[in-house]
Amino acid sequence: MKKMLSLILLGFSLNALAADISVKVSGMVCSMCAQGIKKKFAPETSIRELRVNMDEKVVTIQTHEGKDLSDETIKKLIQEAGYNVASIERK
Amino acid sequence: MMDMKRSLLLFFVIFNSALTWAHPVIYQGGWALNSSNMPEYSNNYVMYSFTQRLALGVDHWRFSRDGANNELGLVKLNQLLWRRNGTDSQANLYLHGGLGVEDREFGGDKRTRASGLVGADVDWETRSLYTAAKYYQFQNSYIAQGRIGFSPRKAPFEELQTWFMLQGMVIGDVQDRVTLTPLVRFFYHNVLWELGSSTRGEWMLNLMVHY
Repeated sequence: MKKMLSLILLGFSLNALAADISVKVSGMVCSMCAQGIKKKFAPETSIRELRVNMDEKVVTIQTHEGKDLSDETIKKLIQEAGYNVASIERK
Repeated sequence: MMDMKRSLLLFFVIFNSALTWAHPVIYQGGWALNSSNMPEYSNNYVMYSFTQRLALGVDHWRFSRDGANNELGLVKLNQLLWRRNGTDSQANLYLHGGLGVEDREFGGDKRTRASGLVGADVDWETRSLYTAAKYYQFQNSYIAQGRIGFSPRKAPFEELQTWFMLQGMVIGDVQDRVTLTPLVRFFYHNVLWELGSSTRGEWMLNLMVHY
């Protein structure tokens, strides 16, 4: 019984974790143009914070607890902003 | 029916145009407002990017010579034909075209008639280097431009960006010489502005907003 409760609680706590996603973006050299990335991701309610690092060419996305953003959605939005995704890393 | 659609698409790709020193097609769903101004010409347009490769808008041009103006109002389509997103660089090739009306005063030849333009531009940029070349053919004139530039500081995303550039430009029907214009480009978030003065002292003021 204790084991079952522990597993259920573990499951809930894992679900409650926020996703921390690093997206390496090719071609992101102009910060004015890269504003489009923020625009494209703005309607995504699962996102708590989005940061753009021009030096590393990385977009860091942190979701709200219990929320996630699929790789497909990330690739689609980055492409619609005019760029390519080089890699996606989740922590 | 499909051939007709393809022909229409090809027609718009070939016969529509715009001129801007920033990207003529931006992110899907984005609007671009531009105003480029010098004493001998001005160009103002509003463009909407339906996709990251296709933008449609309206475009106004003014050319001035000997106190007379030649003005064009166009509907234009911009096509991103090719893009290379490199690790630390981006290269683009755009085709442009426009169809509309020309109000011509040059040479005492005052009349209004249908007009159009075709054009292409190419650019390559990194975070600290910029090169671009453009050519636009109007019914009675052309513009050829080239730019090189550098940014002394790779500013973070949210900070003011500064670029120093040199522009060379020839406007057929208006000038018979190359106008060299050193300029400073700034952009902050979604607003870009440029200030310059040609080697003959002609001012330049450009503004662009993306939203």
